[in-house]
Amino acid sequence: MSWTKDNANTACGRVLLPVVAARNRADSGHIGAFRAGRRRTLGLVALGAALISLPGVAARRSVRVVTLFQGATDTVVALGITPVGVVESWQDKPIYPYLRQALAGVTLLGLETQPSLEDVALLDPDVIVASSFRHARIAPLLSQLGRLVMLDDIYRYRRTLSVTAAALGCEHSAMDWEIRLKTRIRALRQRLQRHFDGAWPISVSLLDVRANEVRSYLAGSFGGSVLRSLGFRWNPIQAGVGGVSLRLTGVEHLSSIDADVFFVMLHGDSAAVRRHYRELRAHPIWQRMSAPRRGAVVAVDPVAWSLSGGILGVMHMLDDIEGWLDDTTRRA
Amino acid sequence: MGDMTIRLAGYSRRIAWRPWRLAGLSLLTCVVIALVSLACGRVWLPPGEWLAGLKRGEGAIWLIVTQLRLPRVVLAAEVGGALALSGWILQQVLRNPLASPDTLGLSGGASAAVVAYLALAAGQGGAWVRPVAAIAGALLVVASVYALALRGGRVTPYRLILIGVGMGALAGAVVTLMLIVGRAELASSAYVWLVGSVYGANRADAVTLGGLLALVLLFGVPLIRYALLAPLDDALAAGIGVSVPASRLALIGVASLLAGLAIAWGGAMAFVGLFAPHLARRWVAVSGSAQALAAVAIGASVVMSADLVGRTLFLPLDLPAGIFVAAVGAPFFIGLLIRETRTS
Repeated sequence: MSWTKDNANTACGRVLLPVVAARNRADSGHIGAFRAGRRRTLGLVALGAALISLPGVAARRSVRVVTLFQGATDTVVALGITPVGVVESWQDKPIYPYLRQALAGVTLLGLETQPSLEDVALLDPDVIVASSFRHARIAPLLSQLGRLVMLDDIYRYRRTLSVTAAALGCEHSAMDWEIRLKTRIRALRQRLQRHFDGAWPISVSLLDVRANEVRSYLAGSFGGSVLRSLGFRWNPIQAGVGGVSLRLTGVEHLSSIDADVFFVMLHGDSAAVRRHYRELRAHPIWQRMSAPRRGAVVAVDPVAWSLSGGILGVMHMLDDIEGWLDDTTRRA
Repeated sequence: MGDMTIRLAGYSRRIAWRPWRLAGLSLLTCVVIALVSLACGRVWLPPGEWLAGLKRGEGAIWLIVTQLRLPRVVLAAEVGGALALSGWILQQVLRNPLASPDTLGLSGGASAAVVAYLALAAGQGGAWVRPVAAIAGALLVVASVYALALRGGRVTPYRLILIGVGMGALAGAVVTLMLIVGRAELASSAYVWLVGSVYGANRADAVTLGGLLALVLLFGVPLIRYALLAPLDDALAAGIGVSVPASRLALIGVASLLAGLAIAWGGAMAFVGLFAPHLARRWVAVSGSAQALAAVAIGASVVMSADLVGRTLFLPLDLPAGIFVAAVGAPFFIGLLIRETRTS
């Protein structure tokens, strides 16, 4: 293999800190007063190190990354870097439970749709990971606040991983994840094949039940793309639909989401959503569909299956699918 | 200081100072609010400190003041001022205290057109499409409201407002329809804009909108003298040499352009166009250019303050200014309706 552990450890998530830059950073006390003391200490240590060493010899410090969408936060944590600022999560606010430990004490920047730009400026980031889907309008401002890494979409986790890793010099770590992902997916695909035997590939619907609509995430979506890579298929109606999701605002079209297995996420933990789900399950059309008849309606965690948008979320998804297979095997 | 009269060959004008002093005072308030807005935010930067930051020309303070706060404050002022002037012109021309971009369905038309563009063309048409769509939507609605309200060559105020409210509701239905047929993600981004927000304003936004508004004013300001005569009886206005229908049409056109431009950049900012002119009327009693200027200053102050509240009160959340504008504007509108029905 072309990379070594040593190489990966020094380059990933670290920026070169030349002597001049170190001095400037320590001098910018004006803004330093607003910042955590740790930062200034770091700067001084770096300055000291730079002064002791020969002129021109560079010191390294951790890269300061700000992530402006959930998938970027997940990915940066996966790469072993603690971001200096992140946006609030969509549920279980302000940070998804699976990231809480890694992100303890990290600055919160408000909503993913409207992050607080002044907070970003004060963090003085080296790299900002954003998405043009959410942040096209503020891109000109963001690029003035730090080196801007723009992903087109927020749900293409592999692209998020490779682009973010390239920006942070963490290609090796990203490669590790890619290999781990491929290995797990291959193993799980074989297991699914064995499990369902002649029935494989079975059809799937990944449903997001909201208060007044149901969304079915298709093969192009975050969760859908993982299911597709495992070999699941969608029924012909859904396979023919373009886009990321299918929105059903009534029960008339419920049959268009029919599949052998339903993975169901409840959107937020509100009474309205639970009532809607109860009504759905009581509906004759729902009860006539394939998955409910087979008892293959599986409740899954929307954080991992949809909201996380990153490689760590995908790993949780694979865990869940393995757990579901274990369960069905045990029952059979 | 007493009034002043200028008499030149072919030009004579009496200038009363009091309205101008009052208008100046509201402009001063506007400037003070702008300065406070520049100082407030995630970090409090007293003027001395941000001036020092400006001189350095780099660093976080410079970024925050010149790239984040300044464009935002300027854009808020432009949006508020334009909506207020639009409302003032409409109230003068239509002789109706309830007239405003909101009540005539003009805001609704502009919003519907922009949301339709976002939903159907996915916002892919270049930077100029959005303002053009907003203006076209505003003009379309205002033309149909006026045409529908016209009966026997006359337009009564309440008929106009009722039809305007109806058209506004229709535009609201179009917005809802577009949000449903559009991509699933459209709703969240369109919603913030519909409420009215100057979040993420950059210098290009502030400069472009400022330039376009200046262009409209270039044509609009000479027309203001007709707006001053509009409250007179049509026959009287015609008697002193005003082409009533033409000037009325031109002024409504200017008002629609102002509102359309403001909405394209800042969203609807409900009721600014209604209550800023009213406050101006109460503050500067004499209707004249000074009153129009006061309306602009008040409109700008209201939106700047609303944005200041929205971006500081719930940190790190950055809330749309439109929420706070509407929170003040809606009760004002209700109060005004009650008063109007009592007096009529």
